[in-house]
Amino acid sequence: MTTIKDLTLVAACVDSGATFEEAARLLRENRLASIAVVDASRKVVGLFTDEELLLGISPRYLDELRHTAFLEAELPSLRERAAQVRQESVLEHVRKAVTVQQDASAVHAAERFVHTDEAALAVIDASGRFCGMLERTELAHAMLRRLTAPTGEPPDRQS
Amino acid sequence: MDVVAVAVFAAALAAIALEWTHRTKVALLGAAAVVLIGVIGEEEAIAAIDWSTLGLLVGMMIIVGLTERTGVFTYVALRVAQLSRGRPVSLVFLLALVTGVMSAFLDNLTAILLVVPITLLLADLLRISPIPLVLVEVLASNIGGTATLIGDPPNIMIGTAVPELSFLDFIVNLAPVAIFTLVTVTAGLALLYRRQLAIAPERAGEVAKLDPAADMREAPYVKRSLAVLLGTIVGFFLHAPLHIEPAVVALAGATVMLLVAADDVENALERVEWATIFFFIGLFVMVGGLEERGVIDRIAEGFADLTGGSRSLEALVILWGSALGSAVVDNIPFTAAMIPVVQSLQGDGFDDAAWWALALGACFGGNATIIAAAANVAASGVLARSGKPISFFGFLAVGLPATAVSLLIATVYLMIFQL
Repeated sequence: MTTIKDLTLVAACVDSGATFEEAARLLRENRLASIAVVDASRKVVGLFTDEELLLGISPRYLDELRHTAFLEAELPSLRERAAQVRQESVLEHVRKAVTVQQDASAVHAAERFVHTDEAALAVIDASGRFCGMLERTELAHAMLRRLTAPTGEPPDRQS
Repeated sequence: MDVVAVAVFAAALAAIALEWTHRTKVALLGAAAVVLIGVIGEEEAIAAIDWSTLGLLVGMMIIVGLTERTGVFTYVALRVAQLSRGRPVSLVFLLALVTGVMSAFLDNLTAILLVVPITLLLADLLRISPIPLVLVEVLASNIGGTATLIGDPPNIMIGTAVPELSFLDFIVNLAPVAIFTLVTVTAGLALLYRRQLAIAPERAGEVAKLDPAADMREAPYVKRSLAVLLGTIVGFFLHAPLHIEPAVVALAGATVMLLVAADDVENALERVEWATIFFFIGLFVMVGGLEERGVIDRIAEGFADLTGGSRSLEALVILWGSALGSAVVDNIPFTAAMIPVVQSLQGDGFDDAAWWALALGACFGGNATIIAAAANVAASGVLARSGKPISFFGFLAVGLPATAVSLLIATVYLMIFQL
């Protein structure tokens, strides 16, 4: 059985004292969809995803709007908001973390992805400490490799 | 048991007013308490629920929710903003008009949830504060909702509880006073805010460039959804001559909407605000407990003693008392409790003036404080989430004078035309 620790995890996290800008930079530089925000004991306190990034730099009323196809020009507040949000604490922009244990099966991770619609899950060890981010793409590719392996052998771990 | 029934209802009202927790939790807790303690029997509790009100609410939530998807309401809001051409007074009047009309024929909470986000975007484009415009819209929604049977929850409850009052009766008796009040209050607000809403000509040009119909071109079932909405409104006008309850009209409209304009029924039914439906269920059971224990009759007797049997005094006390009660608590539970009181006062007779007084008091009273009506709470929530919060006293400074003016107009109207 493939477990989560057989898969490639990305050690992408920021400290809970980080700013929005620092979290956004980590997300951008590593081309990630989601990173963990951890406290001093490496417990996951939340996730910072590309959705938080988009909401953070957009006018705050954006998620109240139901239709926006009529918009052609850039909104005046977009740049103001982007400048304002930089120094805000990342904790103001996190979502509740969806975590899985590193010993859990890949199928359990797949179920979590399907039911939470997250782009990445925070993987934790038995004591709840952050191990890394498991991206949905990585899991999907790993499962595909397993299913297409000629003898049903577990796929080689690739890093 | 009588004391328990009153204590549970009073505690629920206090918890709702103080926002101790979600109002639906409070209402359901109160309902469970009165049934479990034995204030009201299980069968009586079920019978106390006004299924017509719930049917009307569910039907309209489906119809409006599916029509909203088409972008037609966004189109209307943007078009009126363009028509104002950057003139603050025109903008205030046009937004008040569109919110008032939407509130009258959809419901005021939906109207606010549709109009306020667009207003935040317009204010951003125009580089003005959104708060004056949102305040105008909240007040307009509560006044506009007064005009019809389906416009405001108090009217829905009155309309379904009193079969003698038809949709047309509400319009004939309440729409004129609602329109006059809307114009008066909006004029006052336009005067108050004219400097704050000064718009630079180049910013008005940005709004003129928007393409309001863009969303409608992308949306599915625009014509069908609008046809069902309009058909349902026509159905409301005809419900009395056809001897069909408003709830049946709404549910029939919702059924047609599901048949012709919804591919995914489960998704369509998500438009129903179940928290609101269960809030009403809890309230009906608690009020049923008060009725069961004879508390409502004793309140009505005390009320009759206070007014000395004078029809005029009775109507005016209902008007101002309902406004005060709605302002302090929330106009929905207050109206739920007042309906059986007015029914008890009328005995075997029927006097529609008392019902118009209740409707005007509860709906106009909804403008006094930020917690007085669901539309106010929703608007302040949107503002807060958008980083432009309005305080309780900030709202009160505008809402209270507007309510006082509205009630004075309603008093004169009742005295001249109804009493």
